[in-house]
Amino acid sequence: MGLIRGRERKPAGQIFTASMADIVFLLLVFFIVTYKVEVDRTKMDLPDTWIRSKVPEKAAVISIAPPDDITAPLTVRVSTGEEMSLPVSTTEEVVTFASTEVARDPNKEFIIKADEQVPYEHVDAVLDALKQSKVKNIYLLSEQKTVKD
Amino acid sequence: MRIKKKEVQSEIFTGSMADISFLLIIFFMITSAFSADRGLDFALPEDTDTPEIKQEDSIDVHVLRGGAIEIDGAGTPLEGLLPYILDKLKQNPEKPVILRTDPDATYGDMIRTFDTLRTAKIEWSDADGRPLHMDVHGKPLIEIQTISIPTRREIENLWSMLGIQ
Repeated sequence: MGLIRGRERKPAGQIFTASMADIVFLLLVFFIVTYKVEVDRTKMDLPDTWIRSKVPEKAAVISIAPPDDITAPLTVRVSTGEEMSLPVSTTEEVVTFASTEVARDPNKEFIIKADEQVPYEHVDAVLDALKQSKVKNIYLLSEQKTVKD
Repeated sequence: MRIKKKEVQSEIFTGSMADISFLLIIFFMITSAFSADRGLDFALPEDTDTPEIKQEDSIDVHVLRGGAIEIDGAGTPLEGLLPYILDKLKQNPEKPVILRTDPDATYGDMIRTFDTLRTAKIEWSDADGRPLHMDVHGKPLIEIQTISIPTRREIENLWSMLGIQ
């Protein structure tokens, strides 16, 4: 007995795009809300630590990055936390910067963002500058340490 | 003669809205920085000219070049740091720890040691946060009360005060 072969209906290969705009808007709102201006964009390898506390949003930043060339000096940059960071060449400039910030706000927090390969003497010089400027709280920026590390 | 009025359509063209949104998303995705916003915090002492802590009253942790550490002058692996300090704090829970770092050691070496000192609170507590150890008076030992990080200038000042060249 022969079967009558009817035409098979193929489902249309369409992707439902009506909700795409909603998704896009949601993403847009997310990015606008979480948008933060990074005051110092120096790329570096931060040290890993188990203990990490959240740094205050408007804290001043002092970044210490190793040079690309070994013979070149280190790059030290400072930022008030509200403006983009600027390079400084001497420790005295760090003292002046920190003293100005502390005079404006005695409880101003400072973040030290230093590469893990930086010789400690440079970090020591910055720490000393901050102590001279009567800074009260310092945060040493780090990445989360994991079991693999 | 009657003039036909042209009807103006009161519609806002929304066809390109999705494109604009996409462009904005791309902008925010590229420029938003998922930056590190956490770190080790510590408070600096108010008086910076003369360190109050005397070296003989404290536990001296010295980070050497290459990352090795010496505790009270004796070379110790990093794993031995907290057990040594625990023993000392059992005798005197207020004993401060001085963290000195060789200028030629890296910042990463110093941070590793400092982080180990800061983990004492977790190491010396059980899963519920109850202290695991007691001092000689039976008081619970939870954490190192003072970790001092003197700068080279402060150390040199102290040495000159003590008459050490």
